[in-house]
Amino acid sequence: MTLTSNPQLGAARIALADDVSIRAAHLLRRAGFTPTRAEIDRAVGRGYEATVDELLHPEDRPDLEIEDLIRRYHVDQNSLMLLESSQGYWMYRIINSQRPLEEKIALFWHGLFATAYGKLNHAKAVVNQTHTFRRHGLGKFADILVELSRDPAMIFWLDNKDNHRDAPNENYGRELLELFSMGIGNYTEADVKAAARAFTGWTIDNTEYMSIRASRDSFWPYGRIDWQFRYREDDHDDTEKTFLGHTGPLSGQDVIDIIVKQPATAHYIAGKLYNFFVSDRPDEEAIGILADEFIRTDGDIRAVMRCMFMSDFFADEAVRLGRVKSPAELVGGTARLAGSHQSPEWTISNLAMDVNFMGQEILNPPTVEGWHTGMEWIDTGNLVERINAAGAEMRDTARPGVRAIIERVKTRGDRLEPRQLAEACLDAMGMFEVSDGTMDSLVALAAPWGEVRFDRADTVACAEERVVEMLQLIVASREYQLA
Amino acid sequence: MTTTATATFTYSHTVGFLAYRGRGFIHPVDLTLGDGGVMHVLNRGGAESVGRLDLKRVCVCTADEGYIGEWGAGGTEAGQFWWPSAIAQGGDGQIYVTDESLQRVNVFGPDGEFIRHWGETGDGPGQINRPADIIFAPDGSLLVSDGMNHRIQRFTVDGEYLGGWGSYGAQAGQFNTPWRLACDTDGNVFVADWRNDRVQAFTPEGRFVGQWGVSGDGKGQLNRPSAVAVDDEGYIYVADWGNERVQIFAPDGEVAAILLGDATTSSWAEDYLAANPDEQRARREANLAPTVSPWRDHHRETSAGVEARFWGPTAVNLDDEGRIFIVDSCRHRVQIYRKNS
Repeated sequence: MTLTSNPQLGAARIALADDVSIRAAHLLRRAGFTPTRAEIDRAVGRGYEATVDELLHPEDRPDLEIEDLIRRYHVDQNSLMLLESSQGYWMYRIINSQRPLEEKIALFWHGLFATAYGKLNHAKAVVNQTHTFRRHGLGKFADILVELSRDPAMIFWLDNKDNHRDAPNENYGRELLELFSMGIGNYTEADVKAAARAFTGWTIDNTEYMSIRASRDSFWPYGRIDWQFRYREDDHDDTEKTFLGHTGPLSGQDVIDIIVKQPATAHYIAGKLYNFFVSDRPDEEAIGILADEFIRTDGDIRAVMRCMFMSDFFADEAVRLGRVKSPAELVGGTARLAGSHQSPEWTISNLAMDVNFMGQEILNPPTVEGWHTGMEWIDTGNLVERINAAGAEMRDTARPGVRAIIERVKTRGDRLEPRQLAEACLDAMGMFEVSDGTMDSLVALAAPWGEVRFDRADTVACAEERVVEMLQLIVASREYQLA
Repeated sequence: MTTTATATFTYSHTVGFLAYRGRGFIHPVDLTLGDGGVMHVLNRGGAESVGRLDLKRVCVCTADEGYIGEWGAGGTEAGQFWWPSAIAQGGDGQIYVTDESLQRVNVFGPDGEFIRHWGETGDGPGQINRPADIIFAPDGSLLVSDGMNHRIQRFTVDGEYLGGWGSYGAQAGQFNTPWRLACDTDGNVFVADWRNDRVQAFTPEGRFVGQWGVSGDGKGQLNRPSAVAVDDEGYIYVADWGNERVQIFAPDGEVAAILLGDATTSSWAEDYLAANPDEQRARREANLAPTVSPWRDHHRETSAGVEARFWGPTAVNLDDEGRIFIVDSCRHRVQIYRKNS
């Protein structure tokens, strides 16, 4: 498999494409989930920098407008008691949110601070954690770490409820340093122990009762009860500690303040952001630029993201279509493109299951390390899943997004030759660059059809079906599997 | 306006227990009240994965926690449920269940044997799109809240269309995704006009009479009201779904009471806890009304953290003994209150 070995794809640009649209589409793919052509046009109209600023301020756009409808029609997504219900809820958000970067950054932090239903047996607790990422994910990194340290799901996940003044548990303190901020090799075992002591007393209410319920997966008698953060001063070790060269009666907040100022933290988080938003292959110079911005702004993630989106390395042709879409990106993005699930439909569970089958159980990552990304999303089995799921989304001419694509294709002419049809479909999907090989395949598909005609009443339905067949082949292409 | 409210309302007890099958409920959404305190509790279940279709069922029990049995199952065949939304029982004992996904009304005998179904998807007269509620009017006809068609329709028990009113909008007589209905003894119709944050009242012929509520979470304000009931004295009970409470309006329009939920453990729940003594002991020692950090949707998050509170109240039913039955959908139970006149 050489999906990303040639990131430029030998890129044949379709005749209809222009530099501004290509750059806008790239931004929207990375900051969101498969933009529609209308969204690309809107971004072009607003201008690149204005679009970046709009993405970075999701609070200026309305929150999910169908949230009440989801909760009404999916009672199980109101209680969020079950994992599959909660996964379906997140798929709705990915598909329908007008704040794409809010969902994308939540997915990023969810992958980095990976917390899994499997140990908690409390789906809503993990959903609540993702809401924390929505609220704070573009804020100061120090605030994100404070919220994370107070998050009941994380407290349960990494055993900080068992971290007591007289019997420290190092699990959270260790992962905070190793996986969540600095990376291994930048601290000592003594620092781990000090961090753990600093977070003693950061726990949840009713620890014993909630632990018993979680351990036996008990939702009786009346469903899950949301866990609540509680700081127990009487269980906090307020004695002197030495952490990364700082000595004093350090608290958890003090430890976070020290962590955020470490160059290693800036580099570690910059690298993770680069990997998620820019390229599967690290570029130390680019990561250095992002790390510098992290340090300059005291860990302001919004500023770092802005620096990234406005950078030359982000605009570089070499990184366009250079990332493999995660399953959530692929499935959610394709549903957005097709216009499906814009109102509650029970089939949302099937979409969530598709994501699971492709190897990404959102809200239930495999380990505290999250998912292995990039080419590891692809193997012979799940590639078939990816292609089939994407194709199934595009097969219905009545879906609003598919309908919009068809109508846009029609504007390219009443009669389209095979190559014209392929280019019109790619353009209407916002896919402006494909390899010669992909284009040849699309034209070969359409060749037996000859001229596709929208100008006769007796051929329109057939022509629309041809468009849908073309869309299904396009979403099966190598380029569509990439962002 | 001078308040004339004289009634008070006190918590009685709770019926229910979370159970995928048998004695208990899973995401109940509606119920009927029959002779001898027999209840048919409609369980929507979810999610719609193959292994969970059996959760969708009707649990038959009594208001004093007697378990009688269950019937029904999830599926798309005749007599099965996919998104069951409402249940009503006629004087002859036949039971009518609406389905918001299969777009039909299933008709069952008193013991749950399937008889027939009717209903056709669409937006023409007599067609339905997500039928949210079904109730009997005093004249024996059936009123259906036609959710996504934003209207109320009247049918015979055989599904023959008799008329209807309403359209999408926020003006008097218009609706936005209406949910539950109620009738008073004169046949006047009360509609929980869900996305308009109000309750509207109509004559039996559908002429607008009045409305209650404006958007908000203050006293007398409503946030996505799901259900309404009216008693013989003219008190109006509104399940204020988005605010996770029940508001009771006196006949003069003043708020007579606001119920937030007071659930205690049912006898079914006590049986479970008795069989799990370590869990029972830890529960007794726990604070089940902790301080909740309101960070997003205050009322919902409070309900998710405080077990006794209503969470997603979807139906309010009254019996002739002055009892108020509130279906607490996300807590898998029915909380029962009593009116003291």
